[in-house]
Amino acid sequence: MATQTVAVRRPLAMRAGFIRSAFAILKGLWITNRHFWRNLWGFIIRKPTVFTVQFPEERLVQPNAFRGMPVLVQMDNGKERCVACGLCEWACPTDCITIYPAETADEIERYPRVFDIDMSRCMFCGLCEEACPEEAIVMSQNVEICAYSRRGTLWHKDDLLVPVDKLLDTRLFHVRRGYDR
Amino acid sequence: MPKITIDGREIEAPANAMLLPVALENGVHVPHYCWHAKLSVDGSCRMCQVEIEGSPKLVIACNTPVREGMVVRTQTPAVQNARRGVMELLLVNHPLDCPICDKAGECLLQDYSYAFGSRQTRTKEPRRKLQKRKEIGPRMILDQERCILCRRCVRFCREITHTNELGVFNMGDRSMLDVMEGQPLANDYSINTADICPVGALESKDFHHKLRVWFLKKTPSVCPSCSNGCNITVHHYRDRIWRMMPRRNDAVNESWMCDHGRLNYQQVGDETRLRQPQLRRTAKLQTVAWDEALGYVARTLRDTVRTHGAESVGVIASPHLTNEELFRLGQVVSLLGTKNVDTALVVGQGDNLLIKPEKAANARGARDMGLRPTAGGLNVAAMLEAAAAGKLRVLYILGSDVWKVADPQALCGALEKVGCLIVQDVFDSPLTERAQVVLPSLTWAEKTGTFTNVKGRVQQIHRAVAPRDEQPSDGEIFSRLLNQLGEGQWHFEATAVLEEIASAVPAYAGISFARVGAQGFALPESAGDAA
Repeated sequence: MATQTVAVRRPLAMRAGFIRSAFAILKGLWITNRHFWRNLWGFIIRKPTVFTVQFPEERLVQPNAFRGMPVLVQMDNGKERCVACGLCEWACPTDCITIYPAETADEIERYPRVFDIDMSRCMFCGLCEEACPEEAIVMSQNVEICAYSRRGTLWHKDDLLVPVDKLLDTRLFHVRRGYDR
Repeated sequence: MPKITIDGREIEAPANAMLLPVALENGVHVPHYCWHAKLSVDGSCRMCQVEIEGSPKLVIACNTPVREGMVVRTQTPAVQNARRGVMELLLVNHPLDCPICDKAGECLLQDYSYAFGSRQTRTKEPRRKLQKRKEIGPRMILDQERCILCRRCVRFCREITHTNELGVFNMGDRSMLDVMEGQPLANDYSINTADICPVGALESKDFHHKLRVWFLKKTPSVCPSCSNGCNITVHHYRDRIWRMMPRRNDAVNESWMCDHGRLNYQQVGDETRLRQPQLRRTAKLQTVAWDEALGYVARTLRDTVRTHGAESVGVIASPHLTNEELFRLGQVVSLLGTKNVDTALVVGQGDNLLIKPEKAANARGARDMGLRPTAGGLNVAAMLEAAAAGKLRVLYILGSDVWKVADPQALCGALEKVGCLIVQDVFDSPLTERAQVVLPSLTWAEKTGTFTNVKGRVQQIHRAVAPRDEQPSDGEIFSRLLNQLGEGQWHFEATAVLEEIASAVPAYAGISFARVGAQGFALPESAGDAA
């Protein structure tokens, strides 16, 4: 089949879009340039304005609402607040939580015998925290979940426990403010 | 046949029927707690109230007989208001235990609260404190706070088991459920009260704090513990069975099953089970590949038959196998040409409700598939005698029931004299210790097939959990033996084997999985039990 050349005349709006995108590129270059020159000037006058954090020596302070990896709240008596109701396991979109409940003689008769979170699958969505009726699983500030093996990314109950005081002025504060509203 | 109208729909109801079952059968869901299809009417929960034209007040559907021309409405504002009121009253004292309650997820109080309740509590008073976690029997726990006093369990103990252990004590708002003094809930059917409990007041100790019910997958099956063949649902998750629940079948078990059968699932997931075939080359059993073990068995059987005749081989079948597997075993036996075939069956105590004395699911099926001595053949006792006299050179034993049936001393003496003992079983036993070849067997929960119960009802079982390491089923083992013993390419596929049974066994003529269905297929009366 013989090819046929068709002259296309683009509508005005499309041509205007091309001009706008060219302008956007220039704008982006301008921002990069501005930071470059500002930083260079900062180095010259010995007042650097760089935003790079020298991790791991330096760390950012995260806002209270920050969602890092989920952790289990540890009560003052050293036990977990979790009663193994399984709602987080059910709510988890990536199925990264595994719970096996068991019974104790305590007043709270049920506890998780096994509480595992596969951190390599967790996506920090916070649905487990939202599903929890006991305020027992909350998101923490921690995002450091690297390990040398897959097995190392599987966090068990003892690894996940965090004393309640440590969470009170961060994520728990935010969660409770949300419920109060 | 009175004609009634429910929510504008004309329904033909059976005469003298109550309104609630008629509505439920016709797909009109009327919420109810105390009514149960297999128990008498109590009318204590007041949840099934409906509006009937001409009646001054709302009436409870469970205790209102249908009448010609009755016009019933189940969705009017008055009905909805009544339901909300009932829900509110029930929830006044019900503890907020849902996160730790085993019933959560299948709890009628939860479901109806979402569907018909109000979203707020108006009471500020503390909830009633009663005894929690009370051991009321060897297999049951009672939580009095959770009880909503529907009295289903009380009626169950009165009408089904006739043991009367449970009762409601005190009056008015002090009423509470408890067991009679010095009379624990220890009857053989006690866990059924946990099934019929609409809330989590009565709980089975076995399933207490085990798993949330919404994770469970359900496979219909048949209880393997006795020849009654109670219909059950196997609840499994992560390739493990967590509990068994009765499945309603009015011709077999109505809505119940016995505690023994219900707790008899542990063996399926047992870690000590036999998983690999073993062969005794020296003094010790060694794990070998399947082909090697089956090759050895086939060679031994063939050589023995050739040199010493078919009568020097004996087969003791297991009544725990499915009809299809037993049929294949029958083919192996007839190919060998031996008449020495019998089934070892444990006979114990039965009762007049569900438990039958024959303690195997397919005792009837084993007889129907011809696994019993024919003219000139030896039965179990005679086989052991022959073995002790050195006349039986190969003994192929399936299952370990023979250990419970035969006299232990005679059995040990016989097994020592047998040249080659082949044992096919699920667990290690004194039999496997003496065996030349050990073949691992699959349990009922890992295979698909049919069982025939004592009344001649053929019922299906389905694979609920996957066997480990691609372990072949018993039927597959027999098929491979057939391939090794003779010509032909045999496979084991339950549907196809049942078709073979349909054409080979007269009593089972025309049977198929489709005809067996969910509720079973009763063999014709003329096909009497061979025993």
